[in-house]
Amino acid sequence: MSEVPVFFLHGLAYAGLLFLVSAGLTLVFGMMNVLNFAHAAMYMLGAYFSFTLLRATGQFWLCLLVCPLLLFIIGALVERFLLRRVHAYGHLHELLLTFGLAYIITELVKLIWGNFPLAVNIGGFLGQTVAFFGVIYPIYRIFIFVCAIIVGLTMAAILYKTRLGIILRAAVNDSEMVNALGFNVPLVFTGVFAFGAALSGLAGVIAGPLLTTYPGMAHEILIDAFVVIVVGGFGSLGGAVVASLLIGELQSFGVLLFPKLSLALVYMLMAAVLIIKPSGLFGEKQ
Amino acid sequence: MISQKKTPYLVIAAIFALGVLMPFVIKKYQLNMLTEIIVFALYAVSYNLLLGYAGLLSFGHAMFFGMGAFTVAVSLIHIPGLSLWSAVLMALMMTTAVGFITGGFLLRHKGAYFALLTLAFNSLFYAVATKWHKITGGDDGLSITRPDLHLGFTTIKMAALTNFYYVTLVVIGTAIVFCWYFTKTAMGQTVLLMRENEERMKFLGYNTNISRLILFTFTGALAGLAGAFYTLHFQFVSQSAISVDMTTAVLLMTFVGGTGTFWGPILGTFVYIILQNYLSDITDRWPLFMGLIFIVMVLVIPGGLSQIILSIRSLFSGKRNTGKPLAAEESSS
Repeated sequence: MSEVPVFFLHGLAYAGLLFLVSAGLTLVFGMMNVLNFAHAAMYMLGAYFSFTLLRATGQFWLCLLVCPLLLFIIGALVERFLLRRVHAYGHLHELLLTFGLAYIITELVKLIWGNFPLAVNIGGFLGQTVAFFGVIYPIYRIFIFVCAIIVGLTMAAILYKTRLGIILRAAVNDSEMVNALGFNVPLVFTGVFAFGAALSGLAGVIAGPLLTTYPGMAHEILIDAFVVIVVGGFGSLGGAVVASLLIGELQSFGVLLFPKLSLALVYMLMAAVLIIKPSGLFGEKQ
Repeated sequence: MISQKKTPYLVIAAIFALGVLMPFVIKKYQLNMLTEIIVFALYAVSYNLLLGYAGLLSFGHAMFFGMGAFTVAVSLIHIPGLSLWSAVLMALMMTTAVGFITGGFLLRHKGAYFALLTLAFNSLFYAVATKWHKITGGDDGLSITRPDLHLGFTTIKMAALTNFYYVTLVVIGTAIVFCWYFTKTAMGQTVLLMRENEERMKFLGYNTNISRLILFTFTGALAGLAGAFYTLHFQFVSQSAISVDMTTAVLLMTFVGGTGTFWGPILGTFVYIILQNYLSDITDRWPLFMGLIFIVMVLVIPGGLSQIILSIRSLFSGKRNTGKPLAAEESSS
């Protein structure tokens, strides 16, 4: 079976992408208790921004830098001017707001870029293939996985090794107390939401060349990312890592082994986890 | 003076009488729209029992709606000579069973968790409806013809829209009235109190989990009934009936009307369907407007249209009405 290593690598690449999307989602959820339905729409926005920028400049590395920055700004504006206003009404309204936002972004994308798939070609080093252990494999997919590892490690380092991370985690537990101690908690929350948006933008840029860039891409990844969060445990970064790997590989080998069932496999995994451990693999008990 | 207790019954009777007269007054395409509105009104009312009364935000209500819609279509196609009632009854049984089983898993979580899980389950059903081409027709959908209604002594031809409209008015109208009656029962009040203070209800000896499961199953069956009539009305069903968009639609209807009153979602359904019909004639950017309405509603009038009406009424009557989500009725009996 010479396909097995290839499918394993495919799974890793998709797992990397899934992690990049769900990390931002789970971060915002864990910190602010907001389930951001617009997260996947922002991811799509990142992909489209990258498409336009790439066509204009031809520099993929520039896209990797600029698009997350743009999404960071958008995220900050959304939090500051929309989310914060409805915060007092409770989670229901926050959820509905992001839901409406997702609709608007999707429609604007259709309006500006058209309702059809766009192909993204990256030339240069990333567009080539590499041969190892008798397998020829595109470098880009390995690059995705490496990116996911870098982002994951950076997030973990910030959260658990820096002063900022301590403030963040403290703000989750008792935001009023942290506020009273002289830290600007609203600003922290704006930063967290914007960072989550930037992560989604980064994931979008990376997804462009791997998957097709089209208006349905948001919905497609949204469900998978949600399943990752459910399986991994709500708000758990470690859980997101494990669940991304599980689901990435499941998707990949599912296509190989049970092509007819591949769509349902992910949901079956989710249902199984829910029956055995309702709070997710790494989730705290509610 | 009419006593307070009788007023709702008079309103219900008046609305029914108005409904009976409608086919003589309005044009055929308007009657078509009205039938659609009645069907969706039940869908929205059942959704509001979850959202407004129990405080459960579900993104999976379409799975019941779609399940009802598909059950009717599939059973009518595969069982020749099946009567209209049997098909509808099958849809009801199916959605009750699905509601009971999925409710067992879903209701272990609350708030955003619950919302997310219902969305994931809805996606599972959508995936099945899309992939199981043999039964559901996949992307092509299923076409049916409405079976005639046999009443024993006479047969009503269902091909005529007016006849079907009356059947819809009676069946769905009764279901909506039943929902209203449900909110007045002890069970309905339990649901409200559970939303307000679940801990306390537990201390008082209520099994809140069972109550929630019963409510979830009940609303699921009602959505299934609405779905069944949706198929009968359009004589067609495709996987869009079970898609997340169908949940979004009901969410918007309920939200535009306001979750704070029983009749808010019905009003919201009127506004939504009429707006959708006219806007989709003018522009194919309907979802964009939908998103905008959503955000404006959330930011500016979180209580929906019923909040506006209530506050206008309180201006005249001098009574204060906050338009807050339904409060439990104080009863001395």
